[in-house]
Order: sequence, then structure tokens, then C-alpha cells
Amino acid sequence: MSADLTERPGHGRYWWRGNSTGLKLARHTLALLALAVVMVPFADLEILTRDPWGELARMAQGLAWPAWGSLESPLQALGLTVAVALWGTLGGMLLGFPLALLFSRSRLVRAGCAFVRAIHELFWALLFLQVFGLSAATALMALAIPYAGIFAKVYAEILEQLPSAPRDALPRGVGRLSRFIYAELPLAWARLSAYTRYRFECGLRASVLLGFVGLPTLGFQLETAFREGRYHEAGALLWLFYLLIASLPWWGHRRLLPLLALGGALLLGPWPAVEGGLLWRFISQDIWPPALLEGDWRGLIDWLARIPNLGPAIGNTLLLGLLGSVGALLVALALWPLASRHFGNPATRLAGRGLLIFLRSTPELMLAFFFLLLLGPSLLPAWLALALHNGALIAFLVARHADAITTGMPGVNASGRLAYELLPRLYPGILALLYYRAEVILRETAILGMLGVATLGYYIDENFEYLLFDVAFFLLLVTAALNIAVDALSRRLRPKETAVIDDPCQR
Amino acid sequence: MRWLAASTAALALFAQGAAADTFRFTAIPDEDQSRLVERFSKVANYLEERLDVEVEYVPVKSYGATVTAFRNNQVQLAWFGGLSGVQARRLVPGSIALAQSSEDAEFKSYLIAHRSTGLERSEELPAAIEGMSLTFGSRTSTSGRLMPEHFLRERFGEAPDTLFSRVGYSGDHSRTIALVEAGTWDLGAVNYSVWEAAVADDRVDTDKVEVIWATPPYPDYNWTLRGDVDQPFGEGFTEKVRAALLEMDDPELLASFPREAFIPADNALYAPIEDVAEELGLLR
Repeated sequence: MSADLTERPGHGRYWWRGNSTGLKLARHTLALLALAVVMVPFADLEILTRDPWGELARMAQGLAWPAWGSLESPLQALGLTVAVALWGTLGGMLLGFPLALLFSRSRLVRAGCAFVRAIHELFWALLFLQVFGLSAATALMALAIPYAGIFAKVYAEILEQLPSAPRDALPRGVGRLSRFIYAELPLAWARLSAYTRYRFECGLRASVLLGFVGLPTLGFQLETAFREGRYHEAGALLWLFYLLIASLPWWGHRRLLPLLALGGALLLGPWPAVEGGLLWRFISQDIWPPALLEGDWRGLIDWLARIPNLGPAIGNTLLLGLLGSVGALLVALALWPLASRHFGNPATRLAGRGLLIFLRSTPELMLAFFFLLLLGPSLLPAWLALALHNGALIAFLVARHADAITTGMPGVNASGRLAYELLPRLYPGILALLYYRAEVILRETAILGMLGVATLGYYIDENFEYLLFDVAFFLLLVTAALNIAVDALSRRLRPKETAVIDDPCQR
Repeated sequence: MRWLAASTAALALFAQGAAADTFRFTAIPDEDQSRLVERFSKVANYLEERLDVEVEYVPVKSYGATVTAFRNNQVQLAWFGGLSGVQARRLVPGSIALAQSSEDAEFKSYLIAHRSTGLERSEELPAAIEGMSLTFGSRTSTSGRLMPEHFLRERFGEAPDTLFSRVGYSGDHSRTIALVEAGTWDLGAVNYSVWEAAVADDRVDTDKVEVIWATPPYPDYNWTLRGDVDQPFGEGFTEKVRAALLEMDDPELLASFPREAFIPADNALYAPIEDVAEELGLLR
């Protein structure tokens, strides 16, 4: 075998050498899988099951027989969920657009965007909660600020990928804004709006999640009912949310959106009187170590010594992020054909789409709790929850992309179509999506601290509960730095072929 | 000139509106929260009647958010747990613990265990729990974390991290019970009144999970009022609130907490809680 290798160099017959796109992507994927396999022994994956069946049966019953009657003003919660998502996304868009135009030119803008993206919506909410209390202002800012960072990056990448001919045809000395309006916007419009619509769906999920910290969206009652084991009520709320997501293409119609936005605006009040004093106290005192403010250096060293051990926390965060991403890739590859028009019959497709909605709309925390009961406390429930949730999301986007492709190879059966026709065309997009998603997965590891997995987010959450905002803020900065580093690394490592994000949302 | 007068008048009205503040209160979310708004709105109506000001109940989701709302004057009165009360009174100098309930003076926690551990109920903490897995409730819960941890440390001289194979924070008493019942964790530390209520309602299978130990008594829940309420709401307001709480005797209202009656309390009562919290690094 090795003799064979030395005799025939550079012929590209071997998968570990050739330079074609397919081989590069295959190598890349295998390297990722290998890395995950190597890391698995470091993860705590112990399975401990005793008798979860009673509780799991109650959960299943709750989902099967939702108690619609016991909900407390569900319509208002539903309305507020939509209103927060809509205005949060709009706010993110308004802030993100100008940043997108500067994105490729300014390192500062890029770093700033990476920073705001790196902090989970829930943690933004916990920060703003200290100043604006439980109000729509907290919810909107918790959504709009990280979304501005995301929009800036994605819009900038979409604009970068436009053909350059129209731009080159403009006379010299045309300003950035004019160039954007006349040469770029018309070409990019469809993709920009497709991405914005997709982000709106993400916004709906995030809006539900904000209920977990106390804003009165659907998540507020959902979390309480689920936590206290009132599964019939939780079931009703989950169904409400699944239906909301499933019917999005109808009620989220372009023409209806302005109406929804206006109606939603009425639901958002009352607005809190912003007290400058609170804001100032928070920015100038709460988030800084007291010793630093007093200039007491010895005290600062003591303060640092009391910070939780960062090494294992960063290790766990990265490990869970890596395993979650690889798991999501496998889940996505397995699930997307279920929802694509190229396979199965209408009944199986409906079931497939339903499954994807179920997996991507159920908050990760609930999936994680389900696996916690089933498998016991370890990293495993968190891993499965992240992989299934994000994998289903990628699968949904890939299936939409696949549906836009016309297949024409004669005489191939379904598996042939998958292997020879669709997958080769879809795979670069799948990897690109995974790299986008990896950033999100890393962020989401933070909120699975409930399982006792000591990620950075576990300690952030802990210090918010202890009201030690200075420690929480410091850990948030560490998390953001970590995310920025991972982002930079993945940008360097990811194959160039995947950089062209063949936008699956465009339909 | 006319518009100036008009706007001054409007401003005065507005300022008056701000002065005739609504009195807001909240309660830590630790027991049955179904129909929370409905139940506490009744308490709000009662207080409104007694205090002659507009009273509103603000639903809050976590212990931390309750304290924050109190600190930021978004609520003036709160039904706190032992630790959250201490946190709040430290952050708002001048605030006072007004009342506790007859049960709270002698509160306790239960250590519950899954049947497969083979542990039996005993007077003393059994040494066999060493090396098992344990879940607390919320991290800042007095009965679900602070005091159980204190007594565990006292008995074994070790932090829970080293004493047990795994330590978790379920976030909630009901969830602690569900998780130990399912055998996900061997042991759980739980608020005794939540446990008793769950057993009474048949929400827990006592063939699978049982109480193995009860902590010594300690003070827990309390009503805490901000020290600066007399200014916006009028002289003697603090005393009016105290009287309204202590004289609350409608069983339907008391069931919201759920308590039998409220009795007087003061800040000094919670000094032991404060000491324990400092020792465990939850306060600084």
C-alpha cells in the first residue's frame, strides 16, 4: 500500500490527495468527525437510567392531550411573542444594515459584531433586566443587539458574493451608499429578504426563550408549567408554538407584516421610564469588580482568585460545541430527505416536515430535560439536545434548498438521486450552514448549565443568580473572546468552496 | 404664553400622576405557580382596600429577578425566601423584614432519596450518602440549597462537590422531586412544605422516593418592604403595610403563599442565614 503511494504521486486517485471540491469537502468532513471521535473519551457520557418511564409517560400524555382550557390568556402571550420577534428583528435589521456596508472595511466593526453575536440572547436579556426591568424594552434590545451583529455579517457576505459587473459599470467616485442602492440592492434584494425572513423565525424562537427569564411571552407560562410538571398545560403551549411556526408562511406574508408590526406595537407597552440613575449605576459600578473601582490591586488579585476555574469551563464549552456541531451535521444529513419533495410520498413528507418543526421549535432546554430523565445527568443529554435541535434546523433549510433543484438524471432510484445528484450539489451549502450554526451552538452550550454541565454559561448563570454582576460580566467577556477566536479559526479552516453560501432560504 | 401655562399644567398633572404611585409587590416563584396572577390579584385587592393606594402584583420568574425588581424600586414589597430577603435588604439599605408566617419561623428541608439507594429515614444524616449523586433546587433557594448545604458541610466537613459523585441544580423544588423519583439523581434537597403538598395531592410516588432526613429548623420566608415607602405613600405607610399583612386572615388569600397566618419578623432574625450565605460564598 505504501509502495503504491510512492509510485503514483499526485494522480488524485486517492481521496486523501486530490484537489477537486468533492474530495476536499470529504476530507474536511472526515477530519471533523475524527476530531469529534478523538475528543469523545474526554466527555462525560455516562448513562444512568432507573425508572424515568412514569415521568416520560406523563410528558407524552401532556403532549397528546393538551389542556387548552387551563391556559392563562394564551392569545396575548402569542401576540407578544410575535410582536417581540418582529420588532426585535426589525431593530436588528435597522442597526445591522449600515454596519454591513462597513463590515468588510472596518476591523473594528467586525470585532464589535462578533462580540455582540457571541453573547446569547438570554444573557443580553439578563443584563438589560437589571436596568429596564421586565419590559418590552429589555426584550427588544436582547433581540435587536445580537441580531444586528448577525445581520451585519450575513448581509455583508451576501453583498460580497454579488457579481461585480454592475459595480464596475458605475463611474468612478460614486459613494458607498449610491453604489449600494443602485448596483447592489436590486441584485441582492431577494436573498436579503429571504435571510431576514429566516431570521424572523429564529426571532420567534428567541422570543419564546425570553419568557424563560420572565418576559411575558409564550415561554413564560411554558417554562413554569414544564418546570412544575403540569405537562398538559405545557403541551398546549407547545402545540400553540408549533402551529405558529408551521403556519408562518401564511400569516407571515409580506403584505401582512406591516399590519402585524402595527398591531404588535400596541402590545409592547407600557414602556418603562428609563432611569438614568439605574443605567449609570449598572454601567459604572455593578459590572466592575469593586476592588478595581477602588484601585485596590491586591483586592483585585483576590477577586480573580475567586473566579471559578476557567480551564475546565472553557474545555467543556468547546467540547460540547464541537460534539454538538458534528452531531448536528449527522442529524441534518439523516433528516433532510424526509422533508424534501424528491423523496417519499405526500404523507411521509408531511410527517417529515412535522418532525423537523417539532425538533427545531421545541426549546433545547426541554429536549435536554427529556434526555436528562432518560439518560441521567452527564454531557450526553446536552449533546443530544444541541445536535437534534440544530440538526433539524439545518435539515429544514437544506430540504428547502433541495426542493429548488430540478433533478433530471434518467433511470436512477431514490438513493441514486440522493447520492449522485442531490447531495453533491447540496453538500457545500450544508457545510456552510454548519459553520454558521457552530457559532450558535457554542452560544447555546451556555444555557444548558441546568444539566450540571459546567460550561462557561453555567457559571455566568450562577453569578447572575448570586447578583455578582461583575463576575458574570467578566465571564461574558471571556465567552465573547472565545467565540471570536473560534469564529476566526473556523473562517480560516473552512474550505473556500463553502464560503459561497448558496442561500437555501431563497424561495 | 398660553401654551406655556397649558404645558405647565400638563406637566404638573403628569408629575402628580407620578407621585400618586402604584404600590407594587411580588413573590419569589417557588411553589405552584398556576393561575399565579389570578391568585395574587386577590391579595392585591386586599392590600388596596387596606392601604388606600393602587396595588399591583408583578409576576417574576426567578429569585434573582425578584431581588433586582426590589432593588430597582420596580416593586416596593416582596415575599422573599430567607436568602433572597437577605440579598435584597443588603442591596437596599433601610429596608425591613416586616412579617413571616407561623410556619417560617421553624422551616426545614427534607433530604429525599430514590428507593434504589436503600436508604431509610433516620434522625441523623446517614454516612452512606457519601459518593452518591445529589440535586439541589434553585441555586439561591434557602430551603433547596443554602441550608441543606450548610448542614451537609457541618456533618461531613466537606463541600458537596467532593462529598457527592455529582451535584446538580434542578432549578425548582417540584423538579427536584420529579428527578429523584425518576432515579436521575440518587438524592435531592427539597423544601418540606412543597414536598408535603406534593404528597397530599398524590403528585409523587412514595414507593419510589422517600424522605430520609429532615434538617434542623431555620427561619425562611419573609415579607420585606423598602425603607423609603413613607415618602411617596405618606407618613405611617410602613405600619399600615405591616398591619395589613399581620391581619390577613382570609384562608383563600393565605392559601396563595400557602401559609396559615403571618406573624411579626425583623431583620435580625435572618442573621444566621446571612452568615451561612457568606460562608458559602453566595454573598460578599
